[in-house]
Amino acid sequence: MSPSVILLLSVCVYLAIGVPVAFALGMSTVTALLVSGSFPMLVLLKETFTGVDSFPLMAVPFFILAAELMSGGSLTEVLLRFAGQFVGHKRGGLGYTNVVALTFFSGISGSALADAAGPGSMMIKMMDKAGYDRSYAAALTASTAIVGPIIPPSIIMIIYALADDNVSVGALFVAGLIPGLLIAVAMCIVNWYISKQRNYKGDGQMPSGPEILRTTWKALPAILLPVLILGGMRAGWFTPTEASVVAVFYALVCGKYVYRTLEWKAVPDILSRSALLTASVLLIIGMSASFAWILTIEGVPQTMANWITSIHLNAWTFLIVINVFLLLFGIFIEPLPGVMVLVPILAPVAAKIGVDPIHFAMVVIFNLTLGMITPPVGGLLFVTSNVSKVPLTELTRELKPFLIAHGVVLVVLTFVPALSNWLPHVMGFK
Amino acid sequence: MLIDKFESGFMQFNRWLLIIMLAVMSVIIFANVTLRYTTSQSIEWAEEVARHLMIWLTFIGCGPVLRYGGHIAIENLQDALPGRVSQALRLLIAILMTGFCVFCIVTGLDYMDRTQYQITPATQISMAWIYAALPIGMTMTLIHWLLIVRRYVLAREFASDAHFDATASASL
Repeated sequence: MSPSVILLLSVCVYLAIGVPVAFALGMSTVTALLVSGSFPMLVLLKETFTGVDSFPLMAVPFFILAAELMSGGSLTEVLLRFAGQFVGHKRGGLGYTNVVALTFFSGISGSALADAAGPGSMMIKMMDKAGYDRSYAAALTASTAIVGPIIPPSIIMIIYALADDNVSVGALFVAGLIPGLLIAVAMCIVNWYISKQRNYKGDGQMPSGPEILRTTWKALPAILLPVLILGGMRAGWFTPTEASVVAVFYALVCGKYVYRTLEWKAVPDILSRSALLTASVLLIIGMSASFAWILTIEGVPQTMANWITSIHLNAWTFLIVINVFLLLFGIFIEPLPGVMVLVPILAPVAAKIGVDPIHFAMVVIFNLTLGMITPPVGGLLFVTSNVSKVPLTELTRELKPFLIAHGVVLVVLTFVPALSNWLPHVMGFK
Repeated sequence: MLIDKFESGFMQFNRWLLIIMLAVMSVIIFANVTLRYTTSQSIEWAEEVARHLMIWLTFIGCGPVLRYGGHIAIENLQDALPGRVSQALRLLIAILMTGFCVFCIVTGLDYMDRTQYQITPATQISMAWIYAALPIGMTMTLIHWLLIVRRYVLAREFASDAHFDATASASL
C-alpha cells in the first residue's frame, strides 16, 4: 500500500474512535511512515517544526490575545448599547441588536467562538429576560457568530493564506467584508420573520440624538480597531503580524485607560488563556503540516488535479461539487484542520480550472465555518449550548430557518464571485 | 497528598512559562515595530526569537490543553456505544496517546542530536535549543496525561479550569 492510502485510512480510524484531532494527525503520519518505510521517521518532526516556525502565523496568537484583552469588561456592554440604539425599538429589536453587536465584535475578534462566548452569551440573557424564547436567542447567536471568521480579522484566513500562496492575508481580510455583511443581513431577515410570527416586542423608543452621539463616541475606539488593522496593512505601515501586535497594545491601552475595566492583575490570566488557545491551534497546524507533506510528496494534489481535468468539470460544476463535499466534510471536521489538510490539495485544482483564488477561499472558509453549526457535531453549537444552558436538541430545532438562510447566502456567494473578489481588487490587494 | 502538591506546583510552573513566553513575544515584536517607526532601526534578532518562542509555546502548551480536555476530538462513536465498550475504546486511545508521546520524546532527542551543530542565523545558538521544545514539551504532556488518564478512561473526565473553556479551544 502506498503511504498516502495508509495515511488516509489510519487517520479516519483514529478520528472515529475519538483520538484528539491534533494527535490523530500525528499518529497517522507515524503509522504511514512505519508501515511503508519509504521515508525517514524524522520527517514528522522536521515538517511539524517547519509548519509552526512561521512569522506570518504569529498573527494567530496576537489576534487571540487582542480579542481577549478587548472583550473583558465594559467594552461588550458599550458595543451592545451602540448596536441597540439603532435597532432596539423595532419589533424583534433585541434580535437585531444581537446581530449588529456580533458583527461589530467580529471586527475585533478573529473567531466565531469568541463572538458566541462573549457578547453572544450576554445577548442571550438579555433576550431571555425580555420575553424571547431562550432557545431562539441561542440559535440566533450561534448562527450569527459565523461572521466572526468571515469579517476581519480572522484567524482561519491567516491560516488559509499560509496554505495557499495565491492569496494574501490582506486580500482575504478585505474579501470577507461583503460576505460578512451579507450573512448579517440574512440573519436579520430571519429575525424579522420569526419576530413577526411570534410577536417579539421591541423596547420603547429610539434614544435621542445627543444620547446616540454619546454612545457612539464611547464605542468609537472599539469600532476603529478593524479600520486601523485594514488601513495599516493597506497603507503598508505593517504586515498582518505587526498589525496583530499593534492590535494587542491598542486593546491594552483601550481596556486600561479608555474603558478602565482592565486590571493589571487580570493580565496573567488573559495571557495564559490566550497561550492555551494558541497552543491547541498551533499543534494542529504543526501536525497537519507533516500530514500534508506526505500527501504532497506522493503527488496526491497533482493526481487529483489531473483526474478532475480529465472528467472535464467546468468551474461552476467544480464549485458545486466542492460545496457538497465541504458541507459533508465540515459536519465532522472543524474549519482549522479542514483548511490545513484540504487547501493544499484543492486550491491548486481550483486555480487550474480557472476559479479565482480569493473567491475560492471565501467559498471554502464559509463552507467549513458553517460546519460549526451543522448538527450533530459543531464547536459553535456546543459552546452556545454551554453558555446559554439550552439543550442541544432544542437549539438544533430552532436552527432550521437560520440554516436555510445560510444556504441561500452560500449559493449566492458561490455563483457571484464579485461579492468576494471585487472589493480586494478595487482596494488594490492581491 | 504529595501527588496533589506536585500536580498543582507542576501546573503553576507550566502556566507561568506560557504567560512569560507569550508576553515576551508580544513585547519583542511590538518594540520592533515601534523602533522601526521612531528610530528607523529594527532589532535584528526580534523576529527569530519570537518565532522560536512560539515553537516552545506550542509544545509547552500542549500538556495543559490536554489536561483540560481542550484538544478537539470527535466523540460521537464513543457516545453511541455502551459504557463498557466506550471505556475499552478510551483505554485504547490512552495507550496510543502514551505511545505517541514516547515516540515524540525519543525521536525528538535523536533529532536534537543531529541538529546540534546547526546554528540559528541571528542569535547564533545551536538549533538543538529550539528542537528541544518537542521532547521537553512532550515529556510534560505525558506527565499531565498520566495525571488525568484514569478519569479519562473511566468517564472521559478532564481537569476543570474556570479560566479555560475547553469546548472553545482550537475551533475557530
